[in-house]
Amino acid sequence: MAPSSSSSSEGVDDWVPPSRRPELADVVPVPQDDGPHPVVPIAYRSDFREVMDYFRALYFAGERSVRALHLTAEVIGLNPGNYTVWHFRRLVLEALDADLQEEMNFVDQIAESNPKNYQIWHHKRWLAEKLGPDVANKEHEFTRKILAIDAKNYHAWSHRQWVLQVLGGWETELQYCNQLLEEDVFNNSAWNQRYLVITRSPLHGGLVAMRDSEVDYTVGAILANPQNESSWRYLKGLYKGENNLLVADERISDVCLKVLKNDWTCVFALSLLLDLLRIGLQPSDDLRGTIEAMKNADPETADADLATAICSILQKCDPLRVNYWSWFMTTVSPQI
Amino acid sequence: MGEPELLEFARERHVLFLEVMASELPGNYAPQEVNHLTLAYFAVAGLSLLRELDRVNKDQIAKWILSFQVHPETDNEFDNGHFYGFCGSRTTQFPSTSVKDPCYSVSHLASTYSALAILKIIGYDVANIDSKALLSSMKNLQQPDGSFMPTHIGAETDLRFVYCAAAICSMLKDWTGMDKEKAKQYILNCQSYDGGFGLVPGSESHGGGTFCAVAALCLMGFIQVDLASNLQESASIDICLLLEWCVQRQEEDGGFQGRRNKLSDTCYAFWIGGVLKIIGAYHFIDHGALRGFLLSCQSPYGGFTKLLYDQYPDIHHSYYGLAALSLLEEDGLEPLCVELGIVSAVL
Repeated sequence: MAPSSSSSSEGVDDWVPPSRRPELADVVPVPQDDGPHPVVPIAYRSDFREVMDYFRALYFAGERSVRALHLTAEVIGLNPGNYTVWHFRRLVLEALDADLQEEMNFVDQIAESNPKNYQIWHHKRWLAEKLGPDVANKEHEFTRKILAIDAKNYHAWSHRQWVLQVLGGWETELQYCNQLLEEDVFNNSAWNQRYLVITRSPLHGGLVAMRDSEVDYTVGAILANPQNESSWRYLKGLYKGENNLLVADERISDVCLKVLKNDWTCVFALSLLLDLLRIGLQPSDDLRGTIEAMKNADPETADADLATAICSILQKCDPLRVNYWSWFMTTVSPQI
Repeated sequence: MGEPELLEFARERHVLFLEVMASELPGNYAPQEVNHLTLAYFAVAGLSLLRELDRVNKDQIAKWILSFQVHPETDNEFDNGHFYGFCGSRTTQFPSTSVKDPCYSVSHLASTYSALAILKIIGYDVANIDSKALLSSMKNLQQPDGSFMPTHIGAETDLRFVYCAAAICSMLKDWTGMDKEKAKQYILNCQSYDGGFGLVPGSESHGGGTFCAVAALCLMGFIQVDLASNLQESASIDICLLLEWCVQRQEEDGGFQGRRNKLSDTCYAFWIGGVLKIIGAYHFIDHGALRGFLLSCQSPYGGFTKLLYDQYPDIHHSYYGLAALSLLEEDGLEPLCVELGIVSAVL
């Protein structure tokens, strides 16, 4: 529930109510009709009310003037979520044939203090569509700026993905993902962006072409931080819909083995291993030996098949999800 | 963590909190005023869960809600591109008579959902609503890719509004308002590599997006009633992967995170808990731990906070905290129809 930003340069004492501005002297403000017995009525501040009353007047009059533009900026400062005001502003911008680059600068300023507001990002998209591919880099710079403050801002990521797909700029995107993951390998948004680049970038050849290097990258990330769920899911995601290839790639079972040798309670390694066994992995002697050792440590699982034993171990290592793992056990067919 | 006395469900405090909110929202809610009807939904729906709807005047509420409906001037206007739904606040509603320019009210799918949900909760018969214009103009908001734009003046399109459209059709018992197959296709395109759903195709799996996807599919009739059937039903969405994504969102503190590697937040106990309930897998999460988390998010002022160590409650998280406790079958709370977000008793 972010507080709305007030006008940038005006202090409380400087603000002149619309009713006392000479340029609005001819305007008759239109009060809000709250209607019969509103539920959850909002205690509007008087400046909010008054500015909205003047906006209503200009809206009714269908005005398309510079003063209308200024007033919408003021409303937006108090109430950036009001989509009618934004729409009206767009009509005024078009009628005045306004400089849209300047407008982009204006909205960027507002976005910085309201980075999670849908209408602001939509306005940016509207402007970017009009300004064309030339603004791709500038837009990427802007989302980078927002993401530098909050690397998971969903709106920024949506906008960035839209700019890439509609206006371009893929060249440095994988590198950008690398940078973000170096800063925080747990940033799931960056992993998701990586997936977008791999699958949709026209410059990178597609998932099949990129898979090999991506597996290596991801295995490295897993070994450095085995408790990071993001990298495990990404690894599996590289083989989505291709179970045969997943099973056949020895690096997958290898990374499970490596991690489990170090920490046999790693839930993500156990879970991926379980997935592999279910789709037909024939474990190597080394892997089989490691699992047997884990099994034998617990009398309950000593006689069970590999997959069942892993489910049992997961019930103990991941107690929050004990019901899930115990159900999972019933879906696992016994291995020979 | 919450003081020992707060680890009880503080029912009375929540009733009081919602009553106070219903009578007046503090000025810091002004930036959300465009969603006034949704704020009203949180208060009314919250009171209905607590079985305290008698604290508000249902007739007055019905009148107030209905005053937000936008009606076409003539019968020929259905296809003029305008959406004849409900506005979310007076600041988007403008009477079209006696103005110089064609100036019109801009109704919105989210406020239309909220309006209908409130009306159903208070027992108003929505068959009395003039829904012909609403539904046929809503169909015009559906995009070629199956998603929905929420207003006719241009706005972001994403899964939230596919959900709203489906819920609206469901409540009005009339599916002429949307093309279900196209909507389903868009939803499928939103499923991410890890099983969750992003708000648009390609975006990160998100608790809210996942709820909108699954609840919409459920309302449209594409989800089965139990898990076994859902698993058998061949590929619409990858249910196995979805299930895995959902259960992994429960954190050590018992709460649910909205996205991988983020903090637990009260509302995701409803969004993601709700998904699990819909697909028949609610018993896979740790109910005790979740209850503990939710009760620790109760504020001494009543209501719920967003995060565990937040100081102040807000009406949004207060509603979802109650809704999540309802899914847990907490004593004193009404059962909820998850996919519609209204108490089952009124259906």
